[in-house]
Amino acid sequence: MSEAPLIRLEALVKSFQQGDLEIPVLKGLDLEIVAGEFIALQGSSGSGKSTLLHILGLLDRPSGGRYWLQGEDVAALPDEQLSRLRNGVMGFLFQSFYLVPYISALENVILPGLYSATPGRSLRQRGQELLAEVGLADRMSFRPGQLSGGQQQRVALARALVNDPQLLLADEPTGQLDTATSVEIMQLLSRVHSSGRTVIVVTHEAATAAYAKRTIFLQDGHVLPG
Amino acid sequence: MFSLVERGRLASRVAVMAARALWAYKLRSCFVIAAVALGIASLTVIVASIDGAERKANEIVDSFGPDAVFILGGDIRSRAVGQRTLTLSYADAERLRQSLPGAYLVVPMRARQNVSARFEGANTQLPLVIGATAGYAEVWNWPLIEGRDLTEADVARGAKVGLIGDLPAKALFGEASPVGRTVFIDNLPVQIVGRLAYRGFSAGGGGAVDDRLIIPISTLTQRFNLDRKYFRALRVKFVDPENMAFHVENLRSLLRDQHRLAEGAPDDFTILTADEILKFLSMFKGGLVLFLGITAVVAMVVGGFVLANLFYLSISERRTEIGLKKALGAPSGAILLQILLEAVWLTLIGALCGMGLGMALGQLLERLGLLELLLSWKIFGLSTLAAVVIGLLFGLKPARQAAAMAPMDVLKGEL
Repeated sequence: MSEAPLIRLEALVKSFQQGDLEIPVLKGLDLEIVAGEFIALQGSSGSGKSTLLHILGLLDRPSGGRYWLQGEDVAALPDEQLSRLRNGVMGFLFQSFYLVPYISALENVILPGLYSATPGRSLRQRGQELLAEVGLADRMSFRPGQLSGGQQQRVALARALVNDPQLLLADEPTGQLDTATSVEIMQLLSRVHSSGRTVIVVTHEAATAAYAKRTIFLQDGHVLPG
Repeated sequence: MFSLVERGRLASRVAVMAARALWAYKLRSCFVIAAVALGIASLTVIVASIDGAERKANEIVDSFGPDAVFILGGDIRSRAVGQRTLTLSYADAERLRQSLPGAYLVVPMRARQNVSARFEGANTQLPLVIGATAGYAEVWNWPLIEGRDLTEADVARGAKVGLIGDLPAKALFGEASPVGRTVFIDNLPVQIVGRLAYRGFSAGGGGAVDDRLIIPISTLTQRFNLDRKYFRALRVKFVDPENMAFHVENLRSLLRDQHRLAEGAPDDFTILTADEILKFLSMFKGGLVLFLGITAVVAMVVGGFVLANLFYLSISERRTEIGLKKALGAPSGAILLQILLEAVWLTLIGALCGMGLGMALGQLLERLGLLELLLSWKIFGLSTLAAVVIGLLFGLKPARQAAAMAPMDVLKGEL
């Protein structure tokens, strides 16, 4: 391969402690993802797909194995640097949106930018452009509670893109949405992908996975050979 | 790593976030503000009253004068039952005038209590009519706003003249000048020759110090038929206040000799100096400071615990928000700073409200005559400092707990 992979996992292990019991979830996982891919992570409940996404997103640390992000070994980085990487390199979409309820849509969108070095004025401008791109130009000052589920997820998508990340991670982004709204969100994700970003979506819905260019199946903590 | 400019920008953004969060949770914020305000209000009143008491003490000591002593018949410290208090005689006063080195003014005093005074249609009740000798105003460092002091001639003649205090002057004459007018005190006509300035503190047990009338002691003993040999108190002024200890010792041995007290027998008189009054007043103030200080500390600590409790509650309530911010790349320091700033914002607002409340309360207490207060910038500084310390101290634990939360704790729920 001419291109160095964006993500490389080697013998990745993750287990959770439950009392005295150690429950292995990921059992030695090898994976390579190159920049610009659109990947669906699929697997049955308990297969470890969300756990894998959290580790990829630096929200959680692996128990063993190696994780190279952009050629850098990130498994052992201190918290402060993980925060910086999450802030600058990644965007997140969650099943239940996670918008801050007491601030407006626009303020939610620029929230990750407040923790970056971007000046306030260009941040607001970028937030407005992104909200317009997801079709919410007329809802900028609305509170999350005044928006529908689909609209909230679109605000969350604009938020995920505000720091111009290379990697977009989505954990069941359509899990709480009806079919029509799900289609809208996935079409927006496709556009994000075609703008050159890497997109990884965890889903158990075949319709959602169909938008991806590659599907990775997880079973019992291993990647199924595709 | 973050540069200084970036840190500054982040801190100011976090400060705005903190303010937004407080506004969003108004009720909770109000509780914290109220709790802190009550603590600060009591602190304000307490510091103001301690300062007020100190100012009053200094005024009393100033007006007493560092160059003077006040001698009372009887030993007021032992308070023995049936003790004679009429032990100072005119012979004593005469001996002091002649043979006490350094003394330049000796004024014996007697008092008559509850005497009515009348001028034309106006009446007033005087708690004290004092009989004194020449130089009464001078010996008490008490300025005359008009007229003159008592003179040797007044005393020698048993003249029916008097000095009037501020309160009876206002009661009988209003704004008009009392000098030259004749007041009847229990049917004795007394011509007012001088008016004493307003002093404004209470005399020991005898009501306000301004509520009195002074006539020659000869006139008082004749007209009210009092004992002609003894008087109640004696005021002595010295030329050099630096040697007070020496003067007091001289005075004491002279009086003991005059009273023929045997060696080892207790004094039958009490000598008070400015130092002793200051000692007594600071003892009284010490008790006040201790009692009120404990009250203030308790009030502040209660405020602090209310703050800590509500912040713990708030953090578990806002787990999602905090976890989300961490997931989006907020460094732990930013979360810590936000919660601490929320605490400090609230305590600062609480401090402002508390100072307002404390000052209003202080005005009320002062108007009711319960307390003498002195409000100052010191109180402002002290309250603000106390508020910030409470905010940081009681906010730190909840803030650290929030900062230590892993983003996973919040987001793991989803599978």
